[in-house]
Order: sequence, then C-alpha cells, then structure tokens
Amino acid sequence: MGTADLIIGPQHPALHEPERFVLKLDGEYVVDVVPRIGYVHRGIEKAAELRTYIQDTYLVERICGICNVSHSLVYVQTVESLQGTEVPPRAAYLRAVVHELNRVHSHLLLLGVVGELFGFDTLFMYLWRDRELVMDVVESITGNRLISAFNVLGGVARDVDQSQVKEAKKAMEYLRGRMKFYKKAFAEDPTVEKRSKGVGILKPSSALDLCAVGPVIRGSGIKTDIRADDPYAAYGEIPFNVITYDTNDSWARFMVRVDEIFEAIGIIEYALDHLPEGPIRARFPRRVREGEAVGRVEAPRGELVDHIISKGGDKPYRFKCRTPTLANILAACEMIRGGQIADVPVSLSSIDPCFACEDRLAIIDVSKGERYSARLRDLMAKYGASR
Amino acid sequence: MGLGLPKFIPEALRAVAKRPFTLMYPFERREPPEGFRGRQVFDLSKCINCGICAMDCPAFAIEMVEVGGKRWPKLYMDRCVFCYQCAASCPKNVISSSKLYELAGTSRSKLVMAPEPPAVGGDRA
Amino acid sequence: MRAEGSEGSFIEGLRSELGDRILEARVLGPRRVAISVKPGDHRIAMEALKKFGGSHMSTITGTDMGEAIEISYHVWCYQAKMEVSIRTGIPKSSPIIETVSDLIPGSVLYEAEARDLLGIEFKGLPYEGRLVLPEDWPEGVCPLRKDWKPDWLK
Repeated sequence: MGTADLIIGPQHPALHEPERFVLKLDGEYVVDVVPRIGYVHRGIEKAAELRTYIQDTYLVERICGICNVSHSLVYVQTVESLQGTEVPPRAAYLRAVVHELNRVHSHLLLLGVVGELFGFDTLFMYLWRDRELVMDVVESITGNRLISAFNVLGGVARDVDQSQVKEAKKAMEYLRGRMKFYKKAFAEDPTVEKRSKGVGILKPSSALDLCAVGPVIRGSGIKTDIRADDPYAAYGEIPFNVITYDTNDSWARFMVRVDEIFEAIGIIEYALDHLPEGPIRARFPRRVREGEAVGRVEAPRGELVDHIISKGGDKPYRFKCRTPTLANILAACEMIRGGQIADVPVSLSSIDPCFACEDRLAIIDVSKGERYSARLRDLMAKYGASR
Repeated sequence: MGLGLPKFIPEALRAVAKRPFTLMYPFERREPPEGFRGRQVFDLSKCINCGICAMDCPAFAIEMVEVGGKRWPKLYMDRCVFCYQCAASCPKNVISSSKLYELAGTSRSKLVMAPEPPAVGGDRA
Repeated sequence: MRAEGSEGSFIEGLRSELGDRILEARVLGPRRVAISVKPGDHRIAMEALKKFGGSHMSTITGTDMGEAIEISYHVWCYQAKMEVSIRTGIPKSSPIIETVSDLIPGSVLYEAEARDLLGIEFKGLPYEGRLVLPEDWPEGVCPLRKDWKPDWLK
C-alpha cells in the first residue's frame, strides 16, 4: 500500500507559528515527516553585527516575546563573560527572579495552548486567567507585561522596593494554590490522559542522540538542567529540584512543565527572601575587548546558547544564537513517526515550539518555496528507526 | 468519567458565580503601576545636547534636530520600542517615563515628539 | 572516565588523549574550554570528548574571518560538566570539511544551517537542500559572509 502526503502549514489552525510539515501517511498512521522551517527569518544574526552592544541588548529580546528574558540574559551574560565583568549579587538575584517569572508565564501559556489543542477550552481559559497574575507582577517589576528590558550589560535596569517584593510574594502564594488544582487536572483528568499518555514517545537514547533539550529531554528521564549543571545568575546559591518524568510521552513533558512551575515559584520566593543589599549595576565599557565567549541558559523551552566573537570595538564581530526549538525539531519528528495524525498537534506542542525563536538567521525577501524534497526521510531512516 | 470531571464542576460553578474576569476596556481602565514604561517625558531644561540618546537608541527612533542653533532630541514614537535605553544613557536625567500608553494616532506625522527647547518656547512634556 | 574537575585538569586530560593534535587550548571562563585543531582532526577530537561524556552538540558556529572560515563545534560534556568549543579553520576558497553527524546525530540541522548561510560544504551530511533559506535563493550567495550586505545598506 502506497503512502499519501498530507501537508500541514505554513498556515494551519493546529499550529501557532508558521512552519510546514509534510506527513507521509499510511492510513491513519504517520510513516514519516519532513519539516520545513524558515518562514519567519528576520536576519537577527546579521543585524546584530551592524549594531552596538548596547543596542543589541534590545534586539535580542525581540527574537522571541515569550522567552525574551532568557534571550537578553544569555546575551548580557556572554558579553560580560567576554569582558570579564562580575555583576553585583543583588543584580544576580533579581535576574533569577525575573527569569523564573518568565518561565512561569511561558509554561502557563503552553499548558493553556495544549488545553486548547485537546479541545479542553475551559482549562485554557482558566490557565490564561491565572497567568494574568504573573503578567501583573512582571509589569510592576520591569515596567511592561511582556518585553521586560530588564537585563542590561553589567546588571539590571531597575531595582525593586519592599512593596513590589510583597506584591510578588502574595501573587506567588496565590498561584501556588491554583497550580495544585491544575496539577490535579493534568495528572488525573480523563481528557488529558487520553490525548497525551502514550502519545509521542521519545526514547531516552533517541533524545540523547538527537541532542534534545529542556522539558523534552527531561520528560524522557534524563536529569539535566543548566541551572543545576552549569549555574548562572544566582542559581548556584538557590536550592531547587530538577524535574524529570520517565514515561517518555507527551504527558511526561507536560507534567515536567507543571512541576517546573512549582519549582519556579519556590525559587522566586527564596530569591526575594534572600535579596542581598548593594548596587544593581556594574560599570560596563562601550568598547568590549577582543575574545570570544559562549553563554548558556535554561530558557523555558530548553538550552539557549549564545556564541559571541569580538575583535575589539563597540559592535560584535559575530553573534550566534541557537534557540531550543531548533534542537528539538529532530526529536519532534521522531515523536511523530509511528503515531496517528490526530496525535500530531499534541506531540508538536509538547516540545513547546517557538519558531519565531528558531528562524532568526538571514535577511530574506520572503518568498515561499513551492518545491521541496523529502530529504529528512533519509536522516530519519538512518538515525531514527534503528535506535 | 474519572476523577477529573467532578473537580472541574465546583471550579466552574465558582467562576460562574464571580463576575467575568474580562476588563471591559475602554469603559473600564486599569491604572498602570508605578514605573510603567509609557510615553517618554523630556525635561529639556536639563538637556546638554550631547546626542547620546540618539546614538544608543536600538530602534533609531531619536533624531537630533537643530532648533535655535543647538541640537535637541526628536522622538519618533512609531519607531520607539519604549525600552528606555535613552533614559539610562542620558547623563543629565532629561528623560523620564509616564503612564500614557494610549498612543495610537491617525497619521504618522502626529506620532512625533518634536522638541520645544526652553529658549524657544517652554518644556516639552 | 573523569568526573567533575576544573578547567585546567580537563585540558590536561584532553592533551593526554589527543597530544599534538591540540594546536591551542584556552579557558574562556568557568566550565568553558576552547581548543583549536586542524580541519581533519575535529572528528578525532569529538570522539575523544565522548570519553568525557561529550555527546551533546550545543551548536555549530561558522564565522567568516576574511581569508578563512572558522567553524566552532560547541559540545557539552555531561560527565565533566564542561562546554568544549572545538575550533578549526578552512579556506574560504574551498570550504569543505567532513561532517560530524554520524558521531552526534543531533548536529545535522546545525551543519545544514551553516551550509545555507556561509556556503560550507559538509562531506557526508545526510540533509540535502535548504533548511532556512527559501528554495529559490540564488546558489552561491551566502548571507552571513562579510561581503554580503542587505539591500537597505547598499
């Protein structure tokens, strides 16, 4: 029996960002999948070379709105490591607080989106209603709901006072109570169970070979988290747990995120309780010395890597950013193969795809290609099925 | 059936009993918090015409224009991303934030804050 | 097998594995090490890293350095908890290098991206065609090379 091709995208109600997947179907089952990315290229790596380090701080935030704190954090950390500047301890703690707030809002967003994909709109609406609380806290601390502009070269842009700390802790306590309800919903609700348990299996060996990152690899039982293994900001001093689940399916990846929200709430409360006194910003020169540096942070979706090469001067020579969704695409294809079509949206959303993050490479006059070939099939056949 | 459905029922009933969570904008407006990054306010009496704000703006939204023999900052609000790097870079604290966020206009020429320096007219606020 | 150690002793451990193949080794910061090798030796270096748990390819950076194109493979070693950047340079006039996607399958997309944007040819890369550029992007035009300028800059 031959296979039929089903094209999903670039515009499709089941996908939230433009990408194209060509599914090769045998009846209801997906035999193979060919992804195509590149629809939202904006030329950020090239653009970063044309702007100064100060201007680039705000350019990299706009790689992705949802995880903008992670992008600006890894950028400023990399440039600071290049220059050899240490940030003051208070700034390190504040960076951790806002970073975790970003993680909470991002995970809540994804869990809501996943609820919508299940057809469980009530869960979606309730999750996003409670997410508004986090947006209010971020607005009070950074001045804006989403794009925070909080991390600057040398420290953070603004300080927090007692009333903001109190407001944040009150919100976190309320949110923890709400999360207990949502954890029960995700762990025990029959709709969620039927749509996500056993769906999108990713074996630990495949996850390691395909270099998956973030909740995707932690949902396959591998205990790795940059905040614990390669600490940055204040994470070396804040106790928290690395969450793993070992059922290797989409349900595990969602539960990892639910539990990470609990951990994030704990980290925020600890950091706000232990905020050291002192300045929030160290002096940082306009011209950065020659050298190169590699920075990594644990963005909500996984490992976010920056590599900056400087030849002296006020503009970077090379800015390279690898976002977590690019690392998870091969894992996503592996998850979809062998499953049913109806499971494709759930599996795809379980990697928390952020294609805006992913396609930030060259400047393009965008024109969508009409011709593609099934080349990834060879890769999948070689590395996917045999493992 | 499962355990999930009964748990959602009291939750749903609670939500129905309370008023809707949606804010009926524009009839109801929320006051933004202190430190909200709304539209900029320039106190040009302190400005020393150095042009650092224009140099550091990531969106290239500030242009130094000549008024009365000196250069003053002109802000293009349709380019501005409200990051406030200009305020951070300014050595004299000329730029501060306000809570104005309803900045939509019907023509691009209205979305410009042209400088009115002290010698010419007054402070631009 | 090496457990967690400082950057200096990690470099010592690498030198005992690779000897003269390491042309230069630098510590970039806590848990960051960079080594330079010749283009053919990058595969050997990557195999040596596997002994330290180096199986996660973080990313692959290609940079136009004028006469040469420099390629950096950033590998995270799970056991040693160290990020190692293996650096090698190939001439821009003939940018050909062997793939590492058989050693670490997850590096396929990073090599495809470097091929699209810098024109590097990875021998043996199983991914053909464009990854991030449109299909009708002209051949041989590499946006990340220093001589390519966007339209608004011309």
